[in-house]
Amino acid sequence: MTLLLDLYLKLFVSSTFAAEGAAGAEMVKVGFWEAIKPPVDISTYGHLIDSLFMLTTKLILFFFFFVCLGIFGFSYLYNKKRHPKALYTHGTSKKQIGIVAFIGALVFVMVDMQITTISNHDYVNVFLNYPKESDDIVRVEVLGQQWAWNFRYAGKDGVFNTEDDVVTLNDLRVPANKKVIFQITAKDVIHALYFPNARIKVDAMPGRISRLWFELTKPGVYDIACAEICGTFHYKMKARLTVYSQAEYDQWMAEVQERSKYITEVDRVENYWGWKWVASN
Amino acid sequence: MAFFEQEIHDAPSTFLSKYVFSFDHKVIAKQFLWYGIAFLGIGGMMALLIRWTLAFPGEPFPVLGQILFPDTNGVVPPDTYAMLFTLHGTIMIFYAITPILIGAFGNYCIPLMIGARDMVFPTLNMLSFWLALVSAILLLASLFTPLGGAAGGWTSYPTLSTLIGSAGVGQTLWCLALFVLGVSSTMGAVNYIATIITLRAPGMGYFDMPLTVWGLWLTAVLNAIFLPVLGAGLLLLTFDRVFGTTFFLAGAAATSGSGDPVLFQHVFWIFGHPEVYILILPAWGIVSDLLSFFARKPAFGARSTALSMTAITILSTVVYGHHMYSGQMSPLLTQSFMMLTMTISIPSAVFFANWLGTIWKGALRFDTPMLFALGVVFVFGLGGLTGLYLATVSTDLYLHDTYFVVGHFHYTMAASVLLGGFAGTYFWFPKMFGRMMNETLGKWHFWISMIGLNGIFMGMMIIGHAGMHRRIYNPFVYEFLQNLIPLNMFITYSAILMGSAQIIFVYNFIHSMYKGPVATQNPWNVGTLEWTIPSPAPHYNFAEIPVVKCGPHEFGNPNLKGKDFQYQTEELVKA
Repeated sequence: MTLLLDLYLKLFVSSTFAAEGAAGAEMVKVGFWEAIKPPVDISTYGHLIDSLFMLTTKLILFFFFFVCLGIFGFSYLYNKKRHPKALYTHGTSKKQIGIVAFIGALVFVMVDMQITTISNHDYVNVFLNYPKESDDIVRVEVLGQQWAWNFRYAGKDGVFNTEDDVVTLNDLRVPANKKVIFQITAKDVIHALYFPNARIKVDAMPGRISRLWFELTKPGVYDIACAEICGTFHYKMKARLTVYSQAEYDQWMAEVQERSKYITEVDRVENYWGWKWVASN
Repeated sequence: MAFFEQEIHDAPSTFLSKYVFSFDHKVIAKQFLWYGIAFLGIGGMMALLIRWTLAFPGEPFPVLGQILFPDTNGVVPPDTYAMLFTLHGTIMIFYAITPILIGAFGNYCIPLMIGARDMVFPTLNMLSFWLALVSAILLLASLFTPLGGAAGGWTSYPTLSTLIGSAGVGQTLWCLALFVLGVSSTMGAVNYIATIITLRAPGMGYFDMPLTVWGLWLTAVLNAIFLPVLGAGLLLLTFDRVFGTTFFLAGAAATSGSGDPVLFQHVFWIFGHPEVYILILPAWGIVSDLLSFFARKPAFGARSTALSMTAITILSTVVYGHHMYSGQMSPLLTQSFMMLTMTISIPSAVFFANWLGTIWKGALRFDTPMLFALGVVFVFGLGGLTGLYLATVSTDLYLHDTYFVVGHFHYTMAASVLLGGFAGTYFWFPKMFGRMMNETLGKWHFWISMIGLNGIFMGMMIIGHAGMHRRIYNPFVYEFLQNLIPLNMFITYSAILMGSAQIIFVYNFIHSMYKGPVATQNPWNVGTLEWTIPSPAPHYNFAEIPVVKCGPHEFGNPNLKGKDFQYQTEELVKA
């Protein structure tokens, strides 16, 4: 009874809660369809994933519609009152086997081959198509640890793991419309660098360097999360992604490069977690 | 088939030999059933604690919270939260679903449905249950260690599950518990395989076995092959934790020598993907049979259903890589795993077509077991189809480790298997306990559960697509998840609804055991062998070993006079 009462209270409170939130954190009450949308896509390749998702959804709904038609339609048509005498068939006639085989083949050709082809094409030609080292790109080294993300820029000399490196904690800033390539590893346990707004994630594993690239289009501030369970405060392993215009980025970079001269202490070993950049191609 | 002479035990006389240390497969089945139902309750309670935390972060759990977490005034603390989802997964998979579907129905149905007097190795069978109990004690004991139980997720990836991430002895006990359970299940599996091969009644070919037995048999094969793989992985992990080896350590954490944490993922998923099918195959078998029994019509393409289940069993062993796409897999491998995974949809489509073919032009009776069987077709349709998003590598890059995955595998492994298990329970209850379960309560149980579980798991898929990742204590520290608060509350309400529906089931189950109407020998008018003997099944089942003369699904034969089904012991009536 207490539970029930509590439930009603919760239901009641939840409506007022939303209003409070609106005042506090500038949360706007949104409709259902708005709320369930994936986070705004800010990358050049996120639409590939969204469109494949939509295509798969359409194909699935097509087949699930027939499953439901079968379940509910047959339940209605052939319940024992309406259809007291069952048909005596084992489903072994040539025609019946043919129909079943056709359904199997249809699923394979219509769904499997189609989405596999698209997905494989995208994966090889886009997601794994790392920008060339000779291009004008931003390079970032990432170290995941319990429970924070460390980011390292090469600094003025363009070489990683030197004294003028720019190192930030939970604060990634990149320019818009420029390819960014990450090399990622983890210090203690497995983490996963997850950019919901770019529709991408990659595991950060101790002892390995994984790679990821993206090009972002919309300046703004977004969330970075850790997607792989990494201990008690996994949920707090949150970093901020700031997308700047090129000018803003250059200005910020100049500032932090200047500052890093004074911050980095030569003697502190733990500042040198970086590694020599591994050329992608 | 040469007739195999079984060793026969005398009927037990003392309480201990009859109900506790019993060799009788029927008693062991009931022991597994109680064991599974008890853990289902514990695991379900954990699920409610998890859901509460996600919907109302920082608010005390009503009633129970004050008792369980006095230090935080009833709020689930984050370290306990990690332990809860770890143990929820572990308990539901290994301690609830496995004992109910495989332990209980496997033990109960296999000998009765193939016309045997007991399992081929009764002592091994008993040992299997008692080892499962040892394992349960180990797991529950881990909760009372100083740093609490395992908290690295049910997958327990190193290096989180090594001393680097979990220092407590709880994780070690978790490894040992699962290792012992693996031994127990392997014993059961070997027993099932041997029983089905050697003890089929004379005249019963493999395709004359009910599909339930097919499902259980394939499950046993997968169990016997892959549980030792998990056992090996867990032993190596235990070595890393206890003896200071470095099989799964790498990078800065490995002070002497270096292994590879990804190795564990390979070992785990080589076992872990077949495990999904280990859980679902018995449910598929039960559903295939029940649809035919309650449609009063032969199972449509029974042979192709059996063969497609076999095909899936084989395919399930070579697709495990799709769990590891986010770990920078080579495109050669992603392509192969993607294609192989997709291939599973062909046999799946075949038996879906067969299921619908079975109820096509039947004379459908909507008794409770049939409702649950149709429920499985519905939820497994959803669960299976949503697997496509996760098998394709590019959509998986986004959906991996989000609630979409959680929703998907709960549809397949939780919803379908649970509904299949309930269908089996309602169906075989009269044979097990000699009484009928209440139909009205059963239907209420079905409809409320159905609404509840679709609310939960559909909700999970929606919030997963909206980007919410798994295993987080408080999703609302993230800006991009703020809009999902109401939906998370909705899922929690659905979970409470689903949980309360199970109270109806438990009441119905216990009440019917003592007070239900006495069951006749064959209350459902079904022709398989277990219905040729009295209810409840007597000691040693068959006074005389039956001789099988026709298939298990002979319904509605127009040449038949007086009744619409044939026992398997009767000659097939021809015109």
